[in-house]
Formats: sequence, C-alpha cells, structure tokens
Amino acid sequence: MSNQKKSDDNLKGTLYATFGIGIVIIVVWALCFNLFIDRF
Amino acid sequence: MHIHKYEKWWLVFGTGTLIVFLLIIGVSAFHAGTHPNNSKWTINYEKVNEIAPFDNPGVHKVEGKDWDYEVVLVASAFSYNPMEIEIPVGSTVRFIATTTDVVHGFEVAGTNINMMLEPGYVSEKITTVDKVGEYTVVCNEYCGTGHAMMYSTLKVVDSDDNSSH
Repeated sequence: MSNQKKSDDNLKGTLYATFGIGIVIIVVWALCFNLFIDRF
Repeated sequence: MHIHKYEKWWLVFGTGTLIVFLLIIGVSAFHAGTHPNNSKWTINYEKVNEIAPFDNPGVHKVEGKDWDYEVVLVASAFSYNPMEIEIPVGSTVRFIATTTDVVHGFEVAGTNINMMLEPGYVSEKITTVDKVGEYTVVCNEYCGTGHAMMYSTLKVVDSDDNSSH
C-alpha cells in the first residue's frame, strides 16, 4: 500500500468520524431544543 | 496551500454547524428574548406590599400596551399572592413578580415560564398563552421547610366561557 493510499484512508476515516459524531451531536441537540418549542 | 477534499468537507461541516448553533442561540436570545432577568428593576423587599404595582397583586386588564393582561404576583414563604391566576386563551400577558423574603421560583410547569424571584429585584416575562389548560405554578428554588407546599395555579380559559373578563 502506497503512502498516498494510506493518507487517503486516514482522511476518509477522519471524515466519517467527524460526520458521524457531528450528526449524533446535532440530533441530540435538536431533540433537547425541541423540548422548548411550542410551549408558552 | 493544498487542502485535501475530505479535509475541506469536514471543515465546512464543522464550521457550518458552529455557525448554525450560534445563530439559533443568537435568535433565541435577542429575538425571542430567552435570557435571564436583566435585574434593572429593583425594589425595597421589606416594603413590597406598599409599593405599586405590588400593593395590588392579581390579574389586571390593560389597554394601549403590547400586552393584554398584567399579572402582578408576590411570593413569600410559603405561598403566592394571588393563589390562582385566570387568563383567557390567546392573551399576551406580562408577568411581574417579586418576593418579600427569600429567593423563590416561579415556574409554570410544562411551559417556558421560569423565573427566579430574588429579594430586592422584580422579575418579568411577557408571553402569549395560547393553550387552554390548568397549569401548576411551582416554587423551584428551595426556600424553607414549606417549600414543597408552595404552589399556585394558572388557568388558561376559553374566552367564550370567561364573560367576567
């Protein structure tokens, strides 16, 4: 495996991790925020 | 400077998320008015019952203001005055509250109305009550031995059934 391929794999893994964790944070945040919607 | 395309994606995603979160907080705080009491209105807590508007607690219909009703409320260990608040649904209400002794809370359970009442300060909240129901007002700041018994009721009633207002 060339160094270039390794580097691409690392970047792809970081990309998936970033998006995965980010989406979980956004979903949890939206659910919490939703608790305060539509109440006076 | 060369930035790999994957790095660009997550930089955009991360920065975009941060901007969206900050925008939501900003709109909530500055447009929707979600913030702590400004503490600009002070009062002598020992003479609350002699100082207007707290010398006449209750629900008052008002004209020519941005709100339809003013609810003037005095908290003291371990009760609220008035004990019961009745407002027609759809009204815009300004809650004005203070305490005569220690720190009390004014939380209308199940709604976003939640104020801390501090001796010497007046707390206020303007909101539109848009759902009919009976809401329990609770003290959510521990204020002494009778704290658990300190409650009041907010009744949001259908205007048609409320001809007295």
